[in-house]
Amino acid sequence: MPDEIALLNGYLIVGALLFGIGMIGFLSRRNMIVMFLSAEIMLQGVSLSLVAWSRFHNDFGGQMLVLFIIAVAACEAAIALALVVALFRRRGNLDVAAWRVLREANQPPPSDALLPEEPPDQAESWPHLAPAGVQPETLPEETEYRPRV
Amino acid sequence: MPHYIPILTLLLAAVGMWLMLPRGGARGRGLGMVLTATAIGLGTSRLPWLGPWTAEAVFLVLAAVTIVSALGAVTFHNPVYCAIWFGQSLLGTAGLFLVAGAQFLAVATVVIYAGAILVTFLFVLMLAQPKGRAAYDRVSWEAPIAAAAGVVMVGILSITIGGAFSHPIVPPTEAALAAGVLAPQHVAGFGGQLFGRHLIAIEVAGMLLLVALVGAAVIVQHKEPNG
Repeated sequence: MPDEIALLNGYLIVGALLFGIGMIGFLSRRNMIVMFLSAEIMLQGVSLSLVAWSRFHNDFGGQMLVLFIIAVAACEAAIALALVVALFRRRGNLDVAAWRVLREANQPPPSDALLPEEPPDQAESWPHLAPAGVQPETLPEETEYRPRV
Repeated sequence: MPHYIPILTLLLAAVGMWLMLPRGGARGRGLGMVLTATAIGLGTSRLPWLGPWTAEAVFLVLAAVTIVSALGAVTFHNPVYCAIWFGQSLLGTAGLFLVAGAQFLAVATVVIYAGAILVTFLFVLMLAQPKGRAAYDRVSWEAPIAAAAGVVMVGILSITIGGAFSHPIVPPTEAALAAGVLAPQHVAGFGGQLFGRHLIAIEVAGMLLLVALVGAAVIVQHKEPNG
């Protein structure tokens, strides 16, 4: 059996690190989906601490709280991703800076400029496959009406 | 132990996180990884020893998987890679849950988080992915300030945790653990507590899930502009 105090200490430190990493991501990333991933990382850090305390106090209460955290995180993911899809339809991208009009009336806008989109690398091309097989014969009327598809 | 080592650790972590966050280019990312890894190593060297080396090794490997994957999830440019790294971090967290005796929660984390929530994330990413590499994935808001804020948060939490261990606290005995959280009938005890003491809370959580389902369906429904 490991030393319980050292185990609790290690779990709490790992939980604090996860919380800090998630906080850095939530504050700095601009993609809305990555921001929500960071929020989930923060929830994981808190869950880890609660499970460690649950073991240390030999009580199921902490694990109950983690179960409810998972339930609330599922609700949050559903609502947040529905909102992200709705916002994406309005603006065409996932950038939080596209919604800077939602600031207060007398606040200056964020100074960050909207950079143009970068084209994909030329290296990201599809693999070239050698042609194989024969082209199936198509009846001329099937080009207008295809009953099998 | 010299007193400047914790401050040095936090400084290294802050600079490393700043260099690792997307800043419009790939300059200095390797240096950022090296600095952050050094800070994590310095912090790990100050943790107390767990006792048996198997327990120590399992804990260190799972913690390293969790932390490194979380760092990858936060710092990668491509959001699909972010989601994959987040999934690996969830697997590490589930392993840590299992080590701490929360068997049901370990399985629930894998099934619900990595199985449902992560797939929903990937699904929305596929729906909303731009053609090339978007500008908003390659730049960050105020990366140095965000890194400093997160590192200060971790420092304050570490001081608080260290303060909690400066008082004499009583660890649980092995026999009490074996009869309680770590019992072979762990899930039976968990379910007994869940549907006994927390019955109203579980009903409210079920109601919340239903309301969230209806709300998501209402939010996402597509209205025609002139409909």
